[in-house]
Amino acid sequence: MFDKILIANRGEIALRVLRACKELGIRTVAVHSTADEDAMHVRLADESVCIGPPPAKDSYLNIPALLAACEITSADAVHPGYGFLSENARFAEILASHNVQFIGPRPEHIRLMGDKIAAKRAVKDLGIPTVLGSDGGLGSDQEAERLAREMGYPVMLKAAAGGGGRGMKVVRAQSELASALAIARTEAKAAFGDDTLYLEKYLERPRHIEIQVLGDGKGRAIHLGERDCSLQRRHQKVWEESPSPALNTAARDQICETVARAMREIKYLGVGTVEFLYEDGKFNFIEMNTRIQVEHPVTEMITDIDLVVEQIRVAGDNDLALEQSDVKFNGHAIECRINAENPVSFRPSPGKIVHYHPPGGLGVRIDSAVYHGYTIPPFYDSLVGKLIVHGKTRGECLMRLNRALDEFVVDGIETTLPLFRALAREAAIIDGDYHIHWLEEFLARGAAEQ
Amino acid sequence: MARQPGNPPKTPAIDPDAIRELAKLLDETGLSEIEIQRDGVSIRVARIADASGGRAQPAEGPLAPVPAALAAPAAVPVEPAQHPGLVASPMVGIAYLGPAPGARPFVEVGAQVKAGDTLIIIEAMKTMNQIPAPRSGTVNQILVENAQPVEYGEPLMIIE
Repeated sequence: MFDKILIANRGEIALRVLRACKELGIRTVAVHSTADEDAMHVRLADESVCIGPPPAKDSYLNIPALLAACEITSADAVHPGYGFLSENARFAEILASHNVQFIGPRPEHIRLMGDKIAAKRAVKDLGIPTVLGSDGGLGSDQEAERLAREMGYPVMLKAAAGGGGRGMKVVRAQSELASALAIARTEAKAAFGDDTLYLEKYLERPRHIEIQVLGDGKGRAIHLGERDCSLQRRHQKVWEESPSPALNTAARDQICETVARAMREIKYLGVGTVEFLYEDGKFNFIEMNTRIQVEHPVTEMITDIDLVVEQIRVAGDNDLALEQSDVKFNGHAIECRINAENPVSFRPSPGKIVHYHPPGGLGVRIDSAVYHGYTIPPFYDSLVGKLIVHGKTRGECLMRLNRALDEFVVDGIETTLPLFRALAREAAIIDGDYHIHWLEEFLARGAAEQ
Repeated sequence: MARQPGNPPKTPAIDPDAIRELAKLLDETGLSEIEIQRDGVSIRVARIADASGGRAQPAEGPLAPVPAALAAPAAVPVEPAQHPGLVASPMVGIAYLGPAPGARPFVEVGAQVKAGDTLIIIEAMKTMNQIPAPRSGTVNQILVENAQPVEYGEPLMIIE
């Protein structure tokens, strides 16, 4: 097991990782930019190293600075959190060549799943159902046109180097295809440095359902159930829950076992999430994320398994103590991602939190780096914190969520708390009857009524 | 303070020589505060770090403290991080004061440097990075020891 872990991230996930390290008795190094000197995890860590000025490229993405910080603190492992360098295979390799363990999957799996075309091909060979689409990158506009005609419109153009909701374009009719291809290529080149596109059938009203996995890198892997993350705004998840209101036991068991089996076959190491669009009873693979995810607490609440601790354990000892039969699902959990944004315009609202009172009580969890008097810096994402609620049933969970949202006070900045208070009272949400466009339609309705 | 009813409070005579003497002592000894008590009268002379006038110290005797206005500005201690002559580390690594173990350091306190002269080396991942002087001047303070780990922004030297 590791002696000292350097946490190469910030905000709530850095605090989350620090907590797991402390519970494992592992010493912690918090690296931070000058803007994060007062971060809670920096205060709590055993050591801290300032690695650069506020811009991420000069600090949290600064590989030489991170390596130097490992050197001067003698850290023997790095936890990359999510975002930043967590899915950077080169970073993982550089760390390995310096005898520092990267807490995450092997670089070849990071690379494989980072290339959305290669990932789709690989999982298809492993028996995971994929969306109907082009076999690989689009060679020519003629090929795109032929495929689109065969599959039937609407179709979706996707960047091979994209992911996380970025680099996607819907095309509803043949007449739009040529210009959409040109624009999508230009955007992909600018955003990801690679203009390779692939084509998929566009699903009108699917749900986003993802499966959490954990592997020991030696051929053993388990699943920890699914999360329904259909409520999204601009492809960013806003509300996640487990179990999915849309799945019955048979559907759940089948997809979870299919995914776990695939992870065993590739000898996957660490945590990962395999994401699907689910429509008309069919699962369609979209991508796999080879890291711990923002919404992991939802799974932790219903399984009572600490995913970050398990992640550190398999990285350290290559030992997965859990068997599939050890994974038991209890009750229902919902997570709300609360951002420092205006709840209607979503304009960012960084600044000082002059009054902070988080909710508490049975079944209520807050994963947040924010505290009373903290100033949210303007350089990074606008997440204030995650409110996660657990109940024995979905109904109890929703009641508890309403109660917790009412208690939550964050003064001094604007937050999206009012949005969640409204969502928790919406009939469609209460019924669990929503899809990946539902939230944007809801917001558009609200804006129209203004 | 006890007063006889009907009598106005007696104000003790101010002794300017005593205060001047104390201020001089303050400078000579480098102390930041001197207080004496004699015949029921106490005088406290304190050096105020804020050059623009500063806050009044709470008075313990009938006389309010006198700021050491006679003290030279250069003697006022300034936080290294706020010092205008600060050279801060631009990177994470190990700071070495000389080009090799046992060699003479690049600069010593009191040395005159030109802008661009090498002040210090910071080693990160086996590469030695020479840190140049951002301006010409005199090395006033060296704030790190040889082979000390430094972080981004760490105060290295003061050059005036």
